[in-house]
Amino acid sequence: MAERFAVLPCNGLDKAVGPLAREIALAVVEACQGELICPVLFNNLPERYAKAVELPLIVIDGCGTRCATKLAGEHGLKTARKLQIAEALKLMGESSGESLTPDAQRLALCRLLAERLLSAPEEGTAAESEAAFAEPVEYATVTHDKFIFRIPMKGYLFDENHCWAHIAGNRARVGIADYMQQELGDLTFCELPQIGAEVEQFGEIGSVESVKAVSDIISPVSGRVVAVNAAVVEAPELINEDPYVRGWVAELEFGELESDRALLLDGEAYLALVRQKAADYRP
Amino acid sequence: MSDDTFMGVPREKIPWYPTIDYSKCDFCMECDKFCPHQVFARREGEVKLVVANPTNCVVFCRACAKTCGPDALSFPGKPQTIELIKQLRAEGGDG
Repeated sequence: MAERFAVLPCNGLDKAVGPLAREIALAVVEACQGELICPVLFNNLPERYAKAVELPLIVIDGCGTRCATKLAGEHGLKTARKLQIAEALKLMGESSGESLTPDAQRLALCRLLAERLLSAPEEGTAAESEAAFAEPVEYATVTHDKFIFRIPMKGYLFDENHCWAHIAGNRARVGIADYMQQELGDLTFCELPQIGAEVEQFGEIGSVESVKAVSDIISPVSGRVVAVNAAVVEAPELINEDPYVRGWVAELEFGELESDRALLLDGEAYLALVRQKAADYRP
Repeated sequence: MSDDTFMGVPREKIPWYPTIDYSKCDFCMECDKFCPHQVFARREGEVKLVVANPTNCVVFCRACAKTCGPDALSFPGKPQTIELIKQLRAEGGDG
């Protein structure tokens, strides 16, 4: 028996993505015997969905305005899985078109996206390498007002987008720096890359999302994704609590570490960058 | 290292900033509300939003585009930008 979900979709009926959100939501609910949440009614009478929101939640946003995500955030709902249709279609080389009535091809895409939402996340092979990343981490700190930013001084490389790579053997774990997690605030969702994906240096390797903003996670190193941290999807707050260790996002077998390194900062250089950023930090 | 360099290259030499497609933009201002770096500025008149401070834009950040409902913001290609930065670094090394 498949896991049951509650589905909170975009209601954008005046845009081409809205009817697609509706189709995907219906397909998901039907396939998993789940509960559909009407965003309009939920906004007015959330108690009508008291039962539904006990299920793990799938949020379906139509476009970058992310109304459904924001609505879930405002009501303190945790998102188990999510989809942003315009973006997902773009990645597939498709688009929503202009029509408010989906054609057969788009209905097929909707079914595909619904299936993807319901398919179980892949298991990684992180366990074997766990020990290599388990060394205790020593931090330097930068203090500004009531904010304290931590920076691990050894074994980590950083890019100027506040993402880090923790190097062990021929592998690197990648995540976001303390500075960035504080800038974003409480995280509500983390999107992981596909296992097996090839990532370029400074390529996107996922995204994190707070009620405030979405931010890409930029991989400081190139390589192939060999494992992902499913724990941060279950509990994105791990990234807020422990951004450099338990909050890792993906593990790569790296490609060109030596040439990648030329464009990266070590702990010392990143510390200098954070000092300078902290001076005019306004959260 | 200062705010004016990125990867050791003067920021103004890196053409990384959003371009607004005014045929799509509906001036909802979500991008401006989101961006903490004052890249955008609001104006009176027909064109209510402009890219006022392109060099304030964080190189490789495309987060504002993700707030854009009508998909009106675009950025240069990342691989091309990395190539350019590498080139500029090499030139800087010679000089």
